[in-house]
Amino acid sequence: MTDVASTATRPGRSATSEMVRRLPEFLVIWVPLLLSAAHLISFSIWTIWISFTPSTLIPVTGWVGLRNYNSVLASRNWQIAFDNLLLFGIAFVLLSLTTGLLLAILLDQRIRGENVLRTIFLYPLAVSFVVTGTVWSWLLNPGIGIEKLAHDLGWTSFHFDWLVNRDMAIWTIVIAAIWQSSGFAMALFLAGLRSVDSDIIKAAQIDGAGPVRTYWRVILPTLWPITVTVIVVQLQFAISAFDLVRALTNGGPGIATQLPALVVYDLMFQRSQLGRGAAAAVLMLLILLAVLLPYAAWRYVRQRRAAHA
Amino acid sequence: MPITTTRRRLLAGSAAALALPAFARAQGAVKPRLTAISQWSAGSDGAAITALGKKFEEKGGVWQHSPVPGFTTDMMNKLRAQIIAGDPPACSQLKGPEIAAWSKIAPTVDLDAVVAAAGYEKVVAPDLAKLHKPAGKWIALPLQIYSTNMLFLSKRGMDKAKADKVPVTWADFNDLAEKMKSAGMAYPIANGGTRADDGQKFEASLAGISPTAYRAACMNLDKKALEGPEMKAAFAQTRKISDWCDPNVGVQPYATNLKRFVDGDMGMLIMGGWAQGVLKNAGFKFDDYVITPGPSDNGKPVFLLNADAFIFWQRKEADLQAGQMLMAQLVMDPAIQTMYSQITGSIPVRTDVDLTGAGWSDGQRTTAAALKNAMGNNQAVLSLAHNMAQENGLTAAIIDVITEYVKNKTIKPDEAVSRLAEAVEGAR
Repeated sequence: MTDVASTATRPGRSATSEMVRRLPEFLVIWVPLLLSAAHLISFSIWTIWISFTPSTLIPVTGWVGLRNYNSVLASRNWQIAFDNLLLFGIAFVLLSLTTGLLLAILLDQRIRGENVLRTIFLYPLAVSFVVTGTVWSWLLNPGIGIEKLAHDLGWTSFHFDWLVNRDMAIWTIVIAAIWQSSGFAMALFLAGLRSVDSDIIKAAQIDGAGPVRTYWRVILPTLWPITVTVIVVQLQFAISAFDLVRALTNGGPGIATQLPALVVYDLMFQRSQLGRGAAAAVLMLLILLAVLLPYAAWRYVRQRRAAHA
Repeated sequence: MPITTTRRRLLAGSAAALALPAFARAQGAVKPRLTAISQWSAGSDGAAITALGKKFEEKGGVWQHSPVPGFTTDMMNKLRAQIIAGDPPACSQLKGPEIAAWSKIAPTVDLDAVVAAAGYEKVVAPDLAKLHKPAGKWIALPLQIYSTNMLFLSKRGMDKAKADKVPVTWADFNDLAEKMKSAGMAYPIANGGTRADDGQKFEASLAGISPTAYRAACMNLDKKALEGPEMKAAFAQTRKISDWCDPNVGVQPYATNLKRFVDGDMGMLIMGGWAQGVLKNAGFKFDDYVITPGPSDNGKPVFLLNADAFIFWQRKEADLQAGQMLMAQLVMDPAIQTMYSQITGSIPVRTDVDLTGAGWSDGQRTTAAALKNAMGNNQAVLSLAHNMAQENGLTAAIIDVITEYVKNKTIKPDEAVSRLAEAVEGAR
């Protein structure tokens, strides 16, 4: 490192050697960035194109206008998936946010064994969603899981059949998803709580604010940038949720827990309707953009405000 | 088999000799090689195709099988990728109307000569043959047959219900289920809750109520039949079946219930003959259960046909072409079909195979007899739930309605009928 630094500051070096010196940076940062951007953009454009073609088994050229979109939007599968996405997205984000925040506040009380607890709460994040889904599908199955355990322990009136109850099945996905990712929210919030200036807290205490009031009026308001980040990250997950649902309910019972990503996969790879699958994928992209564009705008405004300040 | 040399046969034979230079070469210079993909990776299916590969190698061939575990559609995704890349396997598993659909996207091998030389057409059910020669020429060869609506009766379950009469009609079936229930069986029917399983409950109901209505509605998508009274009756029967199934099965396959079935905690199972292979593989004995044709209201067996097949994709390489011809001959060979079916629990495609031997089970004999009987009465129909009646997209749209109906008991049969008709319209 010292070598590089000294050659860079030495005057009179030619432009070529400067370029050679910067070559690794260029290779490491720009090449992968351009490659993945090209990848992402070209495939997105390709998918958009396919969504307007009559493709079924394999991609073909041709133009069918909005026919694929109309048939996807009119299908029961998509309608159920969209309703589920609204319910799942909102419930999951709110509950994981509150659970994460609660855990963070509790951990923030300078308790013993904080490291162990933090690891425990964060650990589910390291488990793949397929594993989470499979394990929860066993736990929640009334015949072998929690309900059976309660019955075996003598509590025979206990009833918990959400997994096979089509009205409640979507909530099992919410439960599993919260178990998996509230640790992530907790970690971010905890970092936020720790970065609050202790002088402010002390000032609040001197002014006579109790712990609840301190949190509510002083600490939490400083956390809202983190809250927005958590919401956006979790929403992104909710919209593209696939592996968890596939392992846990596979869209069932019946088609009660369909989600958009499942519909896309189903159309493309199970039903061999590439055109419709692509249309559903584009619709998903639009939903994602509806979340990401306001977020990007918000960040832009914030940065500009910070620059002016 | 007695050999009677007819003029047609001679003609076919010479046509074969002319049309198949690769075949001739196979005997000489090149070593036949076959690249094949299928979903058969494990259990009895995996064992069967491995045995077929051994036979291929015994004939001097090079066997290159790449199994793609999972559903048939997972195998199709690999096939699609290979076709798009311009490198299709010499031979792949494919069945039903998908043969016609896929043959439009990549060139296939004309098997007419080799089929004629083997005299295969005469020993294959006509409805089945049609699926394998979509444009008039043989491009695929069926390998084994299952009926998706065989009724498995647990011996212990029957004893528990003190029943000894095998049900013939749906009324008999419903009586027996009630009897089993009052004998203390909470869930007399052992079926699973996968999409295909729900589809089977419905197709068995409809075909058993009226094979004619089934043919019109599910195979020909006739609008009037789709909204007919038989459809409503079939949905009502499906509801009865699902009420007798354990709701806790969720979306798990039927196999999770097999032990309860054999133990007599569940009395009946409506399933394809492959369940026999699965039961055998799980260590259960043939006399733990009885297999009989699924309920049929006119008393004559209805056979919901499901057949696995191989399709052959055009390749330029001489060794692959030779391998394709060798494979085609093997698939049509009665000895090979016998070996294959004895491993998987299916019945051979060839109607001239003798099933009296020791290697066959009573269940297989019953199935073969049912097929013969059903064909004679025009009651052999193609299975919807197992992708034999319609292409994937349509099948999936229909199964969506059925599986939702099975799981959501507030949907009335009337409503299901109109939803199904709408789904067919939408998917077309």
